[in-house]
Amino acid sequence: MKLDTLPQYLRENYKKYSSNKVAMRVKTRGIWKEYTWEDYFLKVKYFSLGLISLGLKVGSDKVSIIGENNPEWFWAELAVQSARCVAVGIFSDCLPDEVKYYIDHSDSVFVVAHDQEQVDKTLEIKEDLPNLKKIIYWDPKGLWSYSDSMLISFDEVIDIGKSYDKKDPRFFDQLLDQGDREDFCLICYTSGTTGKPKGAMWNHKWMTGSVLEWSSLGGWNDNDYEYLSFIPPAWITEQAIGVAGGILAPMVVNFPEEPETVQEDIREIGPDLLFYGARLWENLNRMVQARMIDSTALRRFIYRSCLNIGHKVADMKNNKKEIPVGWKFLYFLAYHAVFRQLRDRIGLPSAKIVYSAGGAVSPEIIRYFQALNIEVKLIYGSTEMGVMSLPRDGDLRPESCGPPVPWVEAGFTEDKEILIKNKYQFCGYYKDPRASKEKMEGDYFRTGDFGHIDEGHLIVIDRMDDLTPLAGGKKFSPQYTEVRLRFSPYIKDVLVVGGEDREYVTAIVNIDLDNVGLFAEANHFTYTTFTDLSQKREVIALIAKEIERVNKSLPEWTRIRRFINLHKEFDADEEELTRSRKLRRSFVEHRYRDIIEALYSNKDQYRVEAAITYRDGRTGTIETSIYVNTLDE
Amino acid sequence: MANKDKTKSQTLLSVESIHLSFGRLVALHDVTMEFQREGIFAIIGPNGAGKTCIFNVISGFYRPQEGKVCFGGKDITRVPSTKRARLGIARTFQNIELYTGLSTVENLMAARTMLFRNTVLECGIHFGRTRREEIEHREVVEDVIDLLEIKNIRKSKVGLLPYGLRKRVELGRALAMEPKVLLLDEPMAGMNIEEKEDMARFIIDIYELKKICIILIEHDMDVLMDISEKIDVLAFGKKIAEGSPQEVAVNKEVVSAYLGEA
Repeated sequence: MKLDTLPQYLRENYKKYSSNKVAMRVKTRGIWKEYTWEDYFLKVKYFSLGLISLGLKVGSDKVSIIGENNPEWFWAELAVQSARCVAVGIFSDCLPDEVKYYIDHSDSVFVVAHDQEQVDKTLEIKEDLPNLKKIIYWDPKGLWSYSDSMLISFDEVIDIGKSYDKKDPRFFDQLLDQGDREDFCLICYTSGTTGKPKGAMWNHKWMTGSVLEWSSLGGWNDNDYEYLSFIPPAWITEQAIGVAGGILAPMVVNFPEEPETVQEDIREIGPDLLFYGARLWENLNRMVQARMIDSTALRRFIYRSCLNIGHKVADMKNNKKEIPVGWKFLYFLAYHAVFRQLRDRIGLPSAKIVYSAGGAVSPEIIRYFQALNIEVKLIYGSTEMGVMSLPRDGDLRPESCGPPVPWVEAGFTEDKEILIKNKYQFCGYYKDPRASKEKMEGDYFRTGDFGHIDEGHLIVIDRMDDLTPLAGGKKFSPQYTEVRLRFSPYIKDVLVVGGEDREYVTAIVNIDLDNVGLFAEANHFTYTTFTDLSQKREVIALIAKEIERVNKSLPEWTRIRRFINLHKEFDADEEELTRSRKLRRSFVEHRYRDIIEALYSNKDQYRVEAAITYRDGRTGTIETSIYVNTLDE
Repeated sequence: MANKDKTKSQTLLSVESIHLSFGRLVALHDVTMEFQREGIFAIIGPNGAGKTCIFNVISGFYRPQEGKVCFGGKDITRVPSTKRARLGIARTFQNIELYTGLSTVENLMAARTMLFRNTVLECGIHFGRTRREEIEHREVVEDVIDLLEIKNIRKSKVGLLPYGLRKRVELGRALAMEPKVLLLDEPMAGMNIEEKEDMARFIIDIYELKKICIILIEHDMDVLMDISEKIDVLAFGKKIAEGSPQEVAVNKEVVSAYLGEA
């Protein structure tokens, strides 16, 4: 039997395990509902035949999928790929305009949408999408009275597929056999930190080949691991681990009930393998720190002492030193006194392999989880190259992304841009061969990232474009400083600024409302709004202290001299952040250019118009001034 | 289709010439109202007009001195409130009345106790029929939880929840009884615009899914304009108007009752 494409592997699993083995689990109505490989395969088969009956052209059409992590997302993708067509993932929190861009640019003929929210978005823009044939939804809630003829439910499509199968029972098998590893099967859009998102095209060779190699390299194949599907499936990483990895390893893929119930659901699953975005690790750490700020002195003392033991042992491990028996014993005590419960609380009691990707993580975060005996492996990957390097077991260095994976070769340009030659190359950008060409340097792909290799480990510093010069010509990495600042529980986001004509470095800080709020409570001062809190004398002093702490670890010329606490939070809906919560640097710098100018002037106040939301939901603006603060040298 | 419309417009619940007084204080005077089998209806009126009194008369908390309450063609004026609940009349309260020490699920399950058919002894050993029944009832409860989007607070203690969510749990409890008539006493009181919009959406969702008779008491005319079919207006214990929201909004008596005589 041919084993080139993902649907072919799915069929293989179906034949091997049939209804004897669980493939997916999803929490609905408070109960974990299981789907075996047979269920999985049949859903895919009927949905695929249903789509073909509705007019999907085998071997060429594109289908967009938009929604939260649900089995239907995976079924739809596999169904599309079974028909040798192309699946397009869209982030579920995209605005209608963004959704329109993706559907239109990818020439999708069907949209598979999660629920009322996604259906509403799509209906809003359907007039502009003449090629769209049907909108298929899988959660009928709230859609009972919709009568648009474009709408059809997931189950109806499956029923159509069933009757197709009755007429021609051998068709689907033949269709699967036609699949080829070179078939282009997936478009993942770049997050668009710079300009319009581009659609990176992928084939089955990557989806199966690279993921198989990764699973055996990472040690998550053939172990029947439990995996928690949480990062968005529109992201290449979830495509690799969740969609492809689930079938190839194979693993049980678990879907939480709602994004809001993850913290509870994860404790019930106790996943062996999980993948969080960089921001989530920060949030977990932030949550624990906030709880400790709010805790009693005795508990804080016990927690700090145990954490010190944890750090010490982790450092010894990292330096490849033998751990003395006494320390082992202390660690044993600390683990059972604090860490075990803590790990349980954050849903990682039995996590064996945990990955992080999608941006840099502060080394302090990695060290923190190491103390709890959780090795957070920071993966270096991209929408165009997949995974490029990852730390190996027992060889974790908080600053690095580990050695490059065996299927890539890393090189560098003269200005230290990372170049990657990949056995599993992406197939270029959809409808943009020029951009694809520009990205290649011979066999090598220009990652646009600045970094170097240290004793075989790849260290990625920042995007090339984001390296910022200062007056005098030397360049520094704002991101390097930013991730370290974000380790502070009081700083949620920060933009570090420099520039050719500027003598020193400055920062625009977003305070963390919850944690700074706790700080206010503990220090007995009151505040009204985010804006008000951010400009309190005590809060400015607090943030100044946090910046000074990070400043000490930086070379003198890249230290932050002046900063302001911004009167509002950066917001993805205002395009200040990407959907994966990365800062859109040039956009933000442009938007706040006046504030930045104030940072480089000798003013100590700056007037802004702040939007406020009243309790009853009305919004208005007030004029207020925010402080520009100077740090002592 | 014609048949379906007919059942829809059948009168399900009516109060006829109700007179209710407490000592010498007259709360309701000769009030007559009719509600059809399917629809969203509203009762409005200034403070102290007797809106909640009507609800109490319908649900059996108060017994009127004169007049009749009819449900499904039968006179239920003398039927006690517990039995009325069994017949399919469920309500929420203006001031939330939940078991604050229990979780959301437990509150909703409690609403279904009247539907359990087992005996105390059977409950004690929790086997056979009891177990089966509990699973059946839990399924209904989970449907409600899904409908009202309270999955993430399924196991949270109700007393610790914020106000808006408690309101939603209370609506859930009424819904868990699978009622034919749902009485909502100021479901949006004390909420901000966003919460009000959510609540309005839930009420519409409930109606579209269950096609039952929903009667609400509300002050916010904007919301009622959008969602209700028919409005009854009370002032000082008397019904002063009845009609579609558009009709009621321009009715002179209603305007003067709300704004005072000019």
